[in-house]
Amino acid sequence: MSGGTPIVRVENVVKDFRPGFGLRTKRVLHGISFQVSPGEIFGFVGPNGAGKTTTLKVLMGLIGATSGTARILGHDVRETAFREHVGFLPENPWFHDFLTGREFLRFYARLAKVPRAEREARIDTLLAWVGLAHAGDARLRTYSKGMLQRAGIAQALIHDPQVVFLDEPMSGLDPIGRVEIRDLILRLRDEGKTVFMNTHILHDVEMLCDRVAILVDGRIRWEGRLEEFEREGERKSQVVLANLKPELAERLEQRCQAELRGHGERVELRVAEKDVEGVLGMALGAGAEVVSVTPLRQSLETIFLSAVEGAAGGGR
Amino acid sequence: MTAVLAVAANTFREAIRNRVLYILLAFAIVLIAASMVLSSLSYVEQTRILQNLAFGAMRLFGIVIAIAVGINLIHREVDRRTVYTILSKPVSRTAFLIGKYLGLVATIWLLVAIMAVAFALTSWVGDAPLGLGHLAAVALVGLELAVVVGLATLFSAFTTPMLAALFTTGITAAGHLTRDLLALAAASGDPGVEAVTRWLHRVLPDLESFNLTLHAVHHLPITASDVVLPVFYAIAYTSVLLLLASLIFQRRDFR
Repeated sequence: MSGGTPIVRVENVVKDFRPGFGLRTKRVLHGISFQVSPGEIFGFVGPNGAGKTTTLKVLMGLIGATSGTARILGHDVRETAFREHVGFLPENPWFHDFLTGREFLRFYARLAKVPRAEREARIDTLLAWVGLAHAGDARLRTYSKGMLQRAGIAQALIHDPQVVFLDEPMSGLDPIGRVEIRDLILRLRDEGKTVFMNTHILHDVEMLCDRVAILVDGRIRWEGRLEEFEREGERKSQVVLANLKPELAERLEQRCQAELRGHGERVELRVAEKDVEGVLGMALGAGAEVVSVTPLRQSLETIFLSAVEGAAGGGR
Repeated sequence: MTAVLAVAANTFREAIRNRVLYILLAFAIVLIAASMVLSSLSYVEQTRILQNLAFGAMRLFGIVIAIAVGINLIHREVDRRTVYTILSKPVSRTAFLIGKYLGLVATIWLLVAIMAVAFALTSWVGDAPLGLGHLAAVALVGLELAVVVGLATLFSAFTTPMLAALFTTGITAAGHLTRDLLALAAASGDPGVEAVTRWLHRVLPDLESFNLTLHAVHHLPITASDVVLPVFYAIAYTSVLLLLASLIFQRRDFR
């Protein structure tokens, strides 16, 4: 984790929703805790329905936590004044589409208390920054999804905030749009901003984020730097064998705790690196043919899947 | 205060770019002008009938527009999630609510001004005399509509547009009847009924206190208290409505 006082500090936040009019409640967040340090891009990762947007809404003061504390820049998220240092882009944003791009940014600049003398210059800078200088006088209803997303980022930055919260910023964008938004996020980091990003697109996380927290079923399953995943996880290799007799397959499963997956006449095994030599010896001794041995890199995807499977398997 | 004005200006801008509003306004103006035709059917008091009908059209359409736009006031912002980005800025929920209210009141007052011009033109064409009393009566129509917008804001803060329309229409209708209820209860002589109607008169808005149509049309004297007291009443009643709306809105989760 980078040094300095945390920009975001969430401690034991619980959120219960009441689905109907009855007394029964549904727990969406189960006492989650995490921190975000200054200047980092923090990826808040999880499958759909994990509670990512709920967490972000708690941080934005849009819903109240049932218990626990959430602070941004040292302030309780229920306060209002500190939000002049916070930017926010919701998921699939919808803005007042009767406004032009320029009127839209002027509205948010007034809300964010940008001094009148600085507003127009700030709007010009941001329109150019997000590549909408040509569309400033067009109504938002004429914008494409990618343009709206960029306009949304411009409103999040209109008051030059210290920390920016983005909820699924690449959602629904075409490949070009995704690259544009990715570049914008990297530019934010270059400008020294802290970025909190909700996403379920792991490729974006691997490309952008310094640190990650994995949320599954309302619980944080892992939090740390991406490289820590590799240190923590047991390294495995993929061994592909052919002509494998059933008795040998059984022995391999039992003695080496290998995971077997059949592909026609070939069988793929995932074995711990320390067991590779033993597996190969047994296979060759039993007349099997070794097709390949490939060390597996511990990608975010494998960690993510094991976190989700772990939760499904009752590892809560 | 900047946030309140920014939200109010945006609400005003949104409302005046809404085509439905112009259709309703066109209907109102047609109905005001039509009062000239209707009054010509009478042999007596033609000018008074003209102004009575025109005032009635103004009040009726003012209420319809206030309810039609007011019930969606908060719901649309929540439904379209525009409230997310607004409240993520240094804007309190109370400031947002008051801004929305003021923006709609400004829109309604603009419409009342346009309808008043249509009323004046109709009176001029129909040779019906105009005086300061008419101006006071129009001003009180504006105040009455400000209270109706307050009711719509309150219900819009926590329920669906359909229910908000139902509640606002019901209370607005009841608000025009509370004085008649008081009179009926007094005539009945039943202390229980009198107590209930007194309580209703206090809780429900006394919208007839904003009705100076009779004074204006019949050129009856209008005292300062006829205007000043409704002004204070409107401010006090609307403040309570907005306070309640704010208390409810503060606790609301935007899921």
